[in-house]
Amino acid sequence: MATGDDAKRYLPLTEATYYIMLSLIEPLHGYAVMQKVEQISQGTVKVGPGTLYGVFDTLEAAGLIVMVKEENRRKSYKLTPKGKKILLSQIKRLEIMTGKGLTVIDRL
Amino acid sequence: MEKTKVRKFRWFWVWQDEAEENWLEKMSQKGYHLSSVSPPGFYTFSVAEPKNYIYRLDYQTFHKKDKREYLQLFHDAGWEHIGDFSAWLYFRKEAKQGETTEIFTDVESKIAKYKRVLTYLGFFYFLMIVIFGGRILTDVPYPWCDAIQVFILLVLLIFTYAIIRLAMRIRQLKKL
Repeated sequence: MATGDDAKRYLPLTEATYYIMLSLIEPLHGYAVMQKVEQISQGTVKVGPGTLYGVFDTLEAAGLIVMVKEENRRKSYKLTPKGKKILLSQIKRLEIMTGKGLTVIDRL
Repeated sequence: MEKTKVRKFRWFWVWQDEAEENWLEKMSQKGYHLSSVSPPGFYTFSVAEPKNYIYRLDYQTFHKKDKREYLQLFHDAGWEHIGDFSAWLYFRKEAKQGETTEIFTDVESKIAKYKRVLTYLGFFYFLMIVIFGGRILTDVPYPWCDAIQVFILLVLLIFTYAIIRLAMRIRQLKKL
């Protein structure tokens, strides 16, 4: 299936990419994404502007996000259906990872 | 009257971007704050109170319109754009607790920056070989040609070394 191949090509997402995509469930511009990533990751992930610019570029070229608005030199993006599929596959992967982790957490 | 501007010449090789950042930070700690930079290595500093500035360099080749958006993003994130030196962009920010001091916050994007530099160097390297490759190997009857050959060879050697250094930097980052 096409989506299966797609998922293989993009996964696993880097931590920054994952949180950036999660933020783009609603349209946001660059700096708002940086703030949201820090907030939803509870301060564990901070994205610098150089990193964010690169991720936007890659995700847009791959068709995982799309520009929805341009205002005062600030572009707003949001996830595309394809982006949502990839994000969902990543969430499932992470679920397996953390699920397995939680079963041994008491023994650590 | 005290001088308000100081101009310095300093040469940094393409693989020494971090050394350059450190040098600029030290200069700011002494009260010399970068105000412009121009090839091949002229740095203009404005003289003021010492400050703890963080300097960061990025390497980008893009269109004018993309650049405006890119600079806006850096501005929003609290980075001041000081100037450009060919495709190198100079940014600074005051060091504050709790705020990130990096423009690249993961290994992947740091590697991507050096790959952009490598692509550019590789392109010129290839071009030089195509244009001058034959010339280095052929015997030319005029003695001044030797000097040109030596010069081209030297440039090629430096390029080779730069490419190796950058490739090593990428390898080192990949191990992190």
